[in-house]
Amino acid sequence: MNKLITLIDQTSDRLGRGVSWLTLFMVLVMGLIVILRYAFQIGSIALQESMLYMNAMLFTFGAAFTLKEQRHVRVDVVYSRLPPRGRALTDLLGTTVFLSLSTGFIVWSSWDYVALAWRIQEGSAESSGLPFVYFLKTALLILPALLFMQGVAEAMKAYSVLRDSAETQSKLTDHD
Amino acid sequence: MIDLLPLVLFAIVCLFLMAGYPVALTMAGVSLLFAILGKLAGVFDLAFISLIPNRIYGILINQNLFAVPLFVFMGSMLERSRIAEDLLKNMELVLRALPGGLGISVILVGMLLAASTGIVGATVVTMGILSLPTMLRAGYQPALACGTLCATGTLGQIIPPSICLVLLGEVISNAYQQAQLNLGVFAPDFVSISDLFAGAILPGLLLVLAYGAYVFATALFKPELAPPTIEDTDSDVNLFVALLKGLFPPVALIIAVLGSILMGLATPTEASSVGAIGAMLLAFGKRMLSIAILHEVAIETTRVTSMVYLILVGATIFSSVFRGFGGEELIEALFDALPGGVFSATLAVMLVIFLLGFILDFIEITFLVVPLVGPVLLSMGLDPVWLAVMIAINLQTSFLTPPFGFSLFYLRSVAPVEVDTLSIYRGVIPFVVIQLMLLILLAFQPGLATWLPNLLNGQAMQ
Repeated sequence: MNKLITLIDQTSDRLGRGVSWLTLFMVLVMGLIVILRYAFQIGSIALQESMLYMNAMLFTFGAAFTLKEQRHVRVDVVYSRLPPRGRALTDLLGTTVFLSLSTGFIVWSSWDYVALAWRIQEGSAESSGLPFVYFLKTALLILPALLFMQGVAEAMKAYSVLRDSAETQSKLTDHD
Repeated sequence: MIDLLPLVLFAIVCLFLMAGYPVALTMAGVSLLFAILGKLAGVFDLAFISLIPNRIYGILINQNLFAVPLFVFMGSMLERSRIAEDLLKNMELVLRALPGGLGISVILVGMLLAASTGIVGATVVTMGILSLPTMLRAGYQPALACGTLCATGTLGQIIPPSICLVLLGEVISNAYQQAQLNLGVFAPDFVSISDLFAGAILPGLLLVLAYGAYVFATALFKPELAPPTIEDTDSDVNLFVALLKGLFPPVALIIAVLGSILMGLATPTEASSVGAIGAMLLAFGKRMLSIAILHEVAIETTRVTSMVYLILVGATIFSSVFRGFGGEELIEALFDALPGGVFSATLAVMLVIFLLGFILDFIEITFLVVPLVGPVLLSMGLDPVWLAVMIAINLQTSFLTPPFGFSLFYLRSVAPVEVDTLSIYRGVIPFVVIQLMLLILLAFQPGLATWLPNLLNGQAMQ
């Protein structure tokens, strides 16, 4: 089990750290767009649309990483006061019910939507835009898949916290 | 009974949010469970959630939201390269002659750092770590120091260019179009994020002024609460250098970013990229621009951006289900049933938002509540910019109000143990009063929020 957790964590980590460089490119490309537009009166739809792809990739591959890093915001008024067992229980239940349901639903409902985009090789609505909209829409499948994968690791981490504390408890009672 | 199901859904979502599982997934998960149960009971039509893929795709390609990663990048760069820290030190040097100079410089820096993040916690924590020890060492009364810091930490939401206003602007502009569509207006007016920036600036500056005046007056009349900083011997040289090197560049950067948006020269997205590049240049000038720092900033930007977008996705799922159960009709009926028309409807919404502010952060409320009540309130004839500014200041007040205000929790978490929680509560009360006064003023003088955007739009048309 630990091996699987490490493998998933590493995958999310590499993907998240990898796509994070896109933020720098987004800053630079947007800066270039501004210079082209204001200094040379050139507007490039392809360049504009590249922002869209980078932004979508950032979220698609960054969401699971953010889950791993525990940075999806929580209402922690109660959570922060819970003992480790309580937190683990919240995380285990939350992951198995809420996360699985949400990601499963997104995949289920998006399947036809994405498949259609691939079938017609959907391109940009703009004539000089980038012809990869079907690729972009695939984010609707990749995002929940990666989130679910990281969810599996989070659930296993929570489970092992619960199991370990149960073991310590029973050991303590054995000694008594 | 079935008519009330949307409210039950809303209450259950809030209840489960308290358990502490990530907000975005809780909103989505609870809503979907509700939809499934509704389907089984035959009171929910799955058609309402079949369009969700379309909506999520719409979020991915929404160009206005590109400003989020770019502004976060800029703020994070200013913080990691310690430009923010230097700014505070230099501001203090310049203002130390003034009674309460240290407190006032904390307020001003908090205002300038507004862009760095959309989360109350982050600003309060950063400011708390940076300046609480300095203020306590300078002999400030703990209550005053804590109150100032809590209040300053929430300024980041109302002073543009803040992420909160970008997101609120996006939601309000959709709500406004929805409202006009409902009223049958076929050539709808638009309200942009820039309009909201322009609308927030006067009330925001008033707040800063009032905070500053309070600290100044305290220092003047009760110097034992906020003693003057002890003079260094070489302060003359320091002052000039401080002004030129530490203070001017970041202030100029932020004013340039904000100015170009307000003048209509650049969209918030364009200005945010210029701001981010400017922040990198400043860091380069300080020899703080390394690959390591760039990567840290990039990763932090990835985390915050992913967090915001996942909430957007969760909120979309929630609002689809909410609509599917007839939530919009319910809200309209509730508002119609309220005696007193627009005024009491607005008051009721403000009260609900204030109370929700105890459990939910700015972004959640923006996406959970505003899309539901916004269209109804706006079709009653309220000005969208005014409403947004009222909501923003209202939330800020909520975050400051003891004993549940978010800001207070966050400051508690970084304050030294000697500072007791009660003095944090005591210290923040004058600031809550200032907030309430501004809210009342704004309620009766909507021009405070609407005058500048109207003026700027008028210019753009000529």
